[in-house]
Amino acid sequence: MSIERSIKQFQDDRMEAVRIAARLLLASGTTTPRVGGVGECTIHILDDPRDIEDLCQSVEAMAGEKDSWQTFKRDAAMLRDSDAVLVITSLRSLTDPADINCNMCGKLTCEYYRESEILPSEPGVAFTGPLCAFRANNIAYALDGVINQARTLGIDYGVFWSAGAAAMRMKIVPRDTGFAVAVAISVTEKSPFRDIPLRYDEMNDRTMNDRIIQRLWPQFRSIYS
Amino acid sequence: MAAVQVNIQLKKKEAIMAITDMSELVQNGLDRAVELMAVAAHNSYRFGNRNTIKLISVGREEMDEIAEFSYSLGDMSPLAARDGRFMKELVKEPCALLLVGDSRKSDLNFNCGACGYRTCAELNRAEEVESLTARGPSCQFKNLNLNIAVNAAASMAWKLGLHCRVFSTLAMAAFALNIIEGVDLVASVSVSVARVDPYFDRHKYWTREYWDEIFEKEFPTFTRGFIGAIE
Repeated sequence: MSIERSIKQFQDDRMEAVRIAARLLLASGTTTPRVGGVGECTIHILDDPRDIEDLCQSVEAMAGEKDSWQTFKRDAAMLRDSDAVLVITSLRSLTDPADINCNMCGKLTCEYYRESEILPSEPGVAFTGPLCAFRANNIAYALDGVINQARTLGIDYGVFWSAGAAAMRMKIVPRDTGFAVAVAISVTEKSPFRDIPLRYDEMNDRTMNDRIIQRLWPQFRSIYS
Repeated sequence: MAAVQVNIQLKKKEAIMAITDMSELVQNGLDRAVELMAVAAHNSYRFGNRNTIKLISVGREEMDEIAEFSYSLGDMSPLAARDGRFMKELVKEPCALLLVGDSRKSDLNFNCGACGYRTCAELNRAEEVESLTARGPSCQFKNLNLNIAVNAAASMAWKLGLHCRVFSTLAMAAFALNIIEGVDLVASVSVSVARVDPYFDRHKYWTREYWDEIFEKEFPTFTRGFIGAIE
């Protein structure tokens, strides 16, 4: 595509729309209900491409830890195409059970939950459960608040639990975070979160550009000039 | 022929002049709204691309039953009692209750550890724990799928201008009463077309004296300067 002034302007405005949209999504996610009316979720916006790249590296690093996490590589490829990432956290699900004795975690009372052993923080463990499911469910509300606003605003979105777990490992979310998921958003003409082919981590916009344009074209150019 | 035409004209006139009562309009609107909420919940975002939620709407009789049961839990759960007593009032005006449930076991194979087990297979093998409120242990992402559906229904209700509140207590009462079956986890969305929003600022239940007494009991240090200042 050409680099006319008006097209440059469009690209700048597109990114500004992302920054504004991310904050409106944060607003909607923040005002969704919380069980028992107790606040515990925070939402963190990553809209600097360098921060998003750090997150992608971390997601990719986790992919090698478990066979069932191989899809994290695809997640990282999609996250690289996104314009901003919102990380939604739950700050009470690990440290402060709801004292409702709901049994969703499989412990009859919250006292039993407090006494139960939690998983160690080590490779192959994304979240150090058991979590207080009643508290962690707040993430569902916050997440749907974000999704709903994205749909209303006409913003493309993708949900990645891998990026939530990676953000926790990178310690870029509050210390008490027990559970986190991430929503990536994009303001582009083709959603980077839909129509994802197989082996997308190997064949995507960047690798295609790298192999076909950056590698073949310079050689072609030096030979035929 | 002429008689038939007159008859048709009369019918047309009837159709044009038909008056539908407000209460009927409101009730019909509520029924449609609940259907739309169900669609929103059914089609909401979910992890693992699996739609395993179960969703039912219950009638007046079940709502009475749920309210009665919730209210009876007074000693065990003040929260459930509050909602039970509230529900008894709520059903006097047009309202509906949507119950949403899901199974607890994971078919997602995320192996994330949030449930406290290293793998989904371990969670699925773990001993099931029964209680009145839910069956555990449960997959955290199944929990999220369920509650995203609930939030989508609530969000649709909000957009349609209904009074709305999400209740765990009423859902758990319905679970205990086997009104919703074949699920391990539940949540509910209550909607109403009462004349004023019945769900929030329910001050009519609390007299000033009662509130002051309870507050003093629960937050004694609020009015106390330092320990021992007021005997």
